[in-house]
Amino acid sequence: MPEIYPVGMAEMRIARNPDILAAYGIGSCVIVAMYDPKTKIGGVAHIILPDSTGIAQDRVNPRKFADTAVPLLFQTLSHAGCYKSSIVSKVIGGAEMFPPTENLTNNIGTQNTASAIRALEKLRIPILAQDIGGRSGRSLEMNLATGRISLTVLGESVKEI
Amino acid sequence: MQDISELRKDQLDALREVGNIGSGNACTALAQFLDRKIAMDVPTAKILPFSEISSLLGGPQEKTIGIFLKVMGKISGKFLLLIPEDTGIKLMRTLIPKSKANKASDMDDFEISCMREIGNILAGSFLNALSILTRTTMLNSLPAMAFDMAGALIDTVVADMAAVSDHVLMIETSFLESNENLKLHIFLMPDHDSLEQLLCQLGVK
Repeated sequence: MPEIYPVGMAEMRIARNPDILAAYGIGSCVIVAMYDPKTKIGGVAHIILPDSTGIAQDRVNPRKFADTAVPLLFQTLSHAGCYKSSIVSKVIGGAEMFPPTENLTNNIGTQNTASAIRALEKLRIPILAQDIGGRSGRSLEMNLATGRISLTVLGESVKEI
Repeated sequence: MQDISELRKDQLDALREVGNIGSGNACTALAQFLDRKIAMDVPTAKILPFSEISSLLGGPQEKTIGIFLKVMGKISGKFLLLIPEDTGIKLMRTLIPKSKANKASDMDDFEISCMREIGNILAGSFLNALSILTRTTMLNSLPAMAFDMAGALIDTVVADMAAVSDHVLMIETSFLESNENLKLHIFLMPDHDSLEQLLCQLGVK
């Protein structure tokens, strides 16, 4: 039986075929999922914020920020035996949950996805699919047998990427 | 400012008292508004690591109505009201007996506006009590409402706090109405810079 490993906010986890990595109730957070089809090892980072710049170094938890979590996940996977050149990625999340009132919009979701995509491009990791933005929270499960990710919105299965 | 995870017990007790006074006032306001008897749980001041936040309240995928307000003033922060879907429908029915909505996603504009007003009243009365306690003026923004998974509603609200700490401070209260089991959760999250000010005003710096 495949195990399902949930990845909470500010967490990062890797696993291998036949297990499943999951993240539930993703709002403005962004999920970066990486997968190596050759070794069937993959990882998920549940990122909260776009950028660690300006935060005191001793306080930085690299798993929280897109600019630090993406390289860390990549490194962790290559240490686990993945081929760097065959790692591919998918980006999910970054919704704006509350409609803006007055001028209080801070579009953290958009900043999160933009920063995650920038970090992936910097490492030249191909982005195979993305499901980002919008006004609804998402849940996902990544099957490490195939690297496919199934997405649900409010309990309804919406698509597979 | 020390990290949130390093708060002392007397400081946490003072923050719990903030929850007590604020929620007491909010509870009375809600009871008057609904013309019902509402009971209140003992408030808690919790320090949680981010990874555990979304497991609050029946899990991250629980269908929930969220009403979010910013708290402004010398002490600033965020106020989040989370109402499980079935409670939200019951509340709204109490206010609008003619309502036909069985699901939160079926609510019309008037019904949504009514839910936001509940948020407004609870936040206003909560902050009013707090203003008196801390001798500072605290104002709330207009309420924004969303219907989604609990985890998705919470992550947006706590994101800002993640920049400076791996933990989040939540002052939490639940309301119950005995024969209807209405369950609401109020979270007050002071901004990191305001926490020191708040503790100072409470005399437990």
